[in-house]
Amino acid sequence: MTTDEPYRWLEAIANRREYIRDQLKGGTPVFAFSRPEGVLLFGIGSGQSKIFEIYDRHGLAALGHPVDIEKIRQTVIEAAHLEGFNRAPEDVTLRRLLNFSLGTALKTSFDQIFSAPLMVECIFAEVGATQAQDALVRVSFDGTHRIAGQGVAVAHIDSINETAAATWLREQVKPEMSLSQVIVHAHAAWRALIADKAFAPVLGNTTVDDELAAAGRVVECALLDRKITRGSRYRALTAPEMP
Amino acid sequence: MNGDFLALLPKPPPPVALGPGSPPVPVSATTVFAFHYAGGVIMAGDHRATAGNVVFSDRTEKILELDHHSLMAIAGSPGTAIEMARTLQTTFEFYRRSQLQPMSLPAKMRALSRLLRENIPATLQGFGLVAPIFVGLDAVTGRPSIYFYDPLGAEFEAAAYAGSGSGSGSIKSVLHFLEKWGVPKPGEMTLAQGVALANRLLMTAAEFDTATGGVDPAQNDFATIKILNSRGVRSISVAEQAAFWREATP
Repeated sequence: MTTDEPYRWLEAIANRREYIRDQLKGGTPVFAFSRPEGVLLFGIGSGQSKIFEIYDRHGLAALGHPVDIEKIRQTVIEAAHLEGFNRAPEDVTLRRLLNFSLGTALKTSFDQIFSAPLMVECIFAEVGATQAQDALVRVSFDGTHRIAGQGVAVAHIDSINETAAATWLREQVKPEMSLSQVIVHAHAAWRALIADKAFAPVLGNTTVDDELAAAGRVVECALLDRKITRGSRYRALTAPEMP
Repeated sequence: MNGDFLALLPKPPPPVALGPGSPPVPVSATTVFAFHYAGGVIMAGDHRATAGNVVFSDRTEKILELDHHSLMAIAGSPGTAIEMARTLQTTFEFYRRSQLQPMSLPAKMRALSRLLRENIPATLQGFGLVAPIFVGLDAVTGRPSIYFYDPLGAEFEAAAYAGSGSGSGSIKSVLHFLEKWGVPKPGEMTLAQGVALANRLLMTAAEFDTATGGVDPAQNDFATIKILNSRGVRSISVAEQAAFWREATP
């Protein structure tokens, strides 16, 4: 096939998009919440991590091929540390990292139709001094990214269900809820998305551990902690903080 | 993808050769030291930076936290030393985040050696000399260790104490005496006793070295002191030092 004809190039890009979505089908969703305590990242993995620290105020939640997640993670970590070293940690912002580093790399990779694509869907998070300054950005494999509003971001393989989950969580998760309660709701949304079922209200003292542990899955939760005012804000949540 | 932050940086240009006829560039003097106490390691320093006989600053921070498990005391040219500390801070964090594990203590020590070796041209020309002390926590044993370096990058582990800078001679003499005949020895002291000792050592150094800024407990002026133990790095605040001082000198 040659790609010097525009319609063939369009066909190749459409095929590539379809191929990536097909390859991502085994992926499980990840979530991010802007909360009074900071930014909460949530994912459930089975052997491979889905939640990562990027820089002092930045975290990543991702699904996709582990090698591709790793490529993206390394790219952003390198860009963030170089920027923080050459200027200052305060100059490392999600907007600049995505617009001038990762977005270009993802778009270029997606457009290279004769090379293997990056198969990843992710959420980047930045914690601010106040909740209003938090940023949750949903980034797709083709380099497009959009700011997730109302303090909830979901990344999933199916965009319709992803939007439905985000809408449901915005309705269910109240400002006064504890982190533990937010995690329970994220888990409920995760289960509904995996089973492709309707979102059901969370009842009583639900825990997230037993059933998942039996299935060999691990709940990963991390907080970009707003109380920490310098250096790394990222910390994995400990057992007493989990439901 | 090997977690080496220095590999990402452009190679610095060689330092400008001053030539044999150039006047010597004054280097700053200082006093920093570290010693074992019963609960870990105390690292302390004065606040003064000098250039020749000029006091450049009396508010210089010389005990720097590289990460939660390592400290560096800087002696020598502040510009070079502070940049080394900043480079190490980023190097350690970059490695931890990119490799998803903390850098080992030996690797941290070698990272500092490498920076000192890269600084040899500046050192040999009489400026940019740095002779730091490094304290790091061994992840396996949970014990902190003290290392001192020569300006060319050779590292040496100190069994009980280490000092650097123009005022360190008198401090090392006192620490040697106390390790031999002290009751208690510094290694047996409580945190309060160790902090009081650190301030007394700086007062002693300042008595004999004009480039060392002393402390004045009567004016609530104390040393910069940080400790490292199995729980990590902690700064000892002025209020804590004042309380320890009162406890030690009733």
